[in-house]
Amino acid sequence: MKMSPEYQKAQKNMEPGVITASGFLGDDHRPIIEIITEDEERMAQAGLDFEETGERLRELLMAGRRGMGEPVTVEGKWLVKTDETRGYLASPFEDGIFRKMNTVVEPVGPEHKGLRLMYSELSLHLLEKWHFLQGKGSPFRLEPDTMRRVLGV
Amino acid sequence: MDPTAFLVAPLVIAGMSAGLAALISITDRYVNDYGDVVIDINQGSKKLDVKGGANMLVTLAESGIYIPSACGGRGSCGECKVKVNSDVGPHLPTELPYLDEKQMEQNIRLSCQIKLKADVGIEVPEYLFNIKKYSGTVESIRDLTHDIKEVYVNLGDEEVSFRAGQYGQFEVPPYDKIKERTQRAYSMSSKPSDKNHLEFLIRLVPGGIVTTYVHERLKEGEKINIVGPFGDFYVRDTEATMICVAGGSGMAPFKSIFYQGVENGLFEKRDIWYFFGARTEKDMFYLDELRELDSKYERFHFVPALSEPEPGTDWQGATGLITEVLDNYLKEKISTETPKEGYLCGSPGMLDACMSVMRDNDMAEEAIYFDKFA
Repeated sequence: MKMSPEYQKAQKNMEPGVITASGFLGDDHRPIIEIITEDEERMAQAGLDFEETGERLRELLMAGRRGMGEPVTVEGKWLVKTDETRGYLASPFEDGIFRKMNTVVEPVGPEHKGLRLMYSELSLHLLEKWHFLQGKGSPFRLEPDTMRRVLGV
Repeated sequence: MDPTAFLVAPLVIAGMSAGLAALISITDRYVNDYGDVVIDINQGSKKLDVKGGANMLVTLAESGIYIPSACGGRGSCGECKVKVNSDVGPHLPTELPYLDEKQMEQNIRLSCQIKLKADVGIEVPEYLFNIKKYSGTVESIRDLTHDIKEVYVNLGDEEVSFRAGQYGQFEVPPYDKIKERTQRAYSMSSKPSDKNHLEFLIRLVPGGIVTTYVHERLKEGEKINIVGPFGDFYVRDTEATMICVAGGSGMAPFKSIFYQGVENGLFEKRDIWYFFGARTEKDMFYLDELRELDSKYERFHFVPALSEPEPGTDWQGATGLITEVLDNYLKEKISTETPKEGYLCGSPGMLDACMSVMRDNDMAEEAIYFDKFA
């Protein structure tokens, strides 16, 4: 599958050490357009809509901010911890900068032990605008099935 | 057909590739060789003869001039600003988010984004000349909570001088996919009088390069580098009541300040209120030590608060978000008559929220101090 220059540049920016030390691709060395195409199918299979999912995850991120660095329980269903550090990260598509804000969301209850999602403000931008959920093995990979289980969709 | 014929095409391609690689290498050597350049610091105060081609932040560090950088030179914290008196080209898009109009006019630049191609004049604060790189050995690592470690570093014969409240840049080696050494800024939690040691409280940030290394790989006996001291977060010499607020590893500078306070009589000179927020009791630490200070010194008041105490525990302290507890104390329990100074350590969100509460309670914004690297 051929990639436009915009995607080719983004793929380069996603390499480790360009924007973040560990990059956005994890162990996935495929062209990002292939990753995106496959994830669009997997999102559909999981019954998730990119826009709605992004909105829900953003609500949880913002709810986590209320904890000012400490975890908070949101709606009795999720334990959310939002960490902030000073500064910004640029989008690999070079279409904006985003606060350095990481969120970990874990559903409450022993039956969900080990289940969690980790994402940043930039992750949400990549999900909503580019349908890019990051490569497999990236610590910030948003696995469609994991999102479905964490959000309880 | 000659049986070796199938080798010809790959060999030709390999030969062409090798030729091209050599050509690129030679071109790079000559075209991108900027030779030696001179960095003139503070109009002749210091002149450095350095090799051109690398970024200014790294080149200065290699010459022993350490510009503060919370992100280790990735252009994502905006800390490494210097005033450039020479033409080094227009501001880059990566610099713009961190510069206001006035700074742009003054040609303030992010030193990590400036490639040294020719002689250049810069201006930096003189105190940066005293910042050094220290090599130490990790003497002990202690779990304070499930996600905060206390790391105590022995500097050997080397001595360090810093003000309680300042920070250092903790450097970790490459690991896994991280191909280069990485630095992050953390407040020192040790007493300044303990001149052969530095201590840090490091909280695990999921996905964080340095915190992950510290929590999963750092071992006692390991050698590490620390650059510092940096920062203007320290106790001002006044008699105003100190209102200190922290959460999590934001405890670090206050530990340093309070233990220095025991030595220099700070607790006899002024009232100090210390608000420390955590979610549950398992996120609290140093409780016994701080309660001991509270009972020993009449003018020191320690207010730990839990935002979500677990049911069934006998937590006797305050409950609620630390900002709610702070607001309540400023309105009900702390004299409104005496002048106050705010001292904050935490995330940008926490700083904003606490500053808002302090302003609402008539504390002057210019008397609220915090480190900007958080």
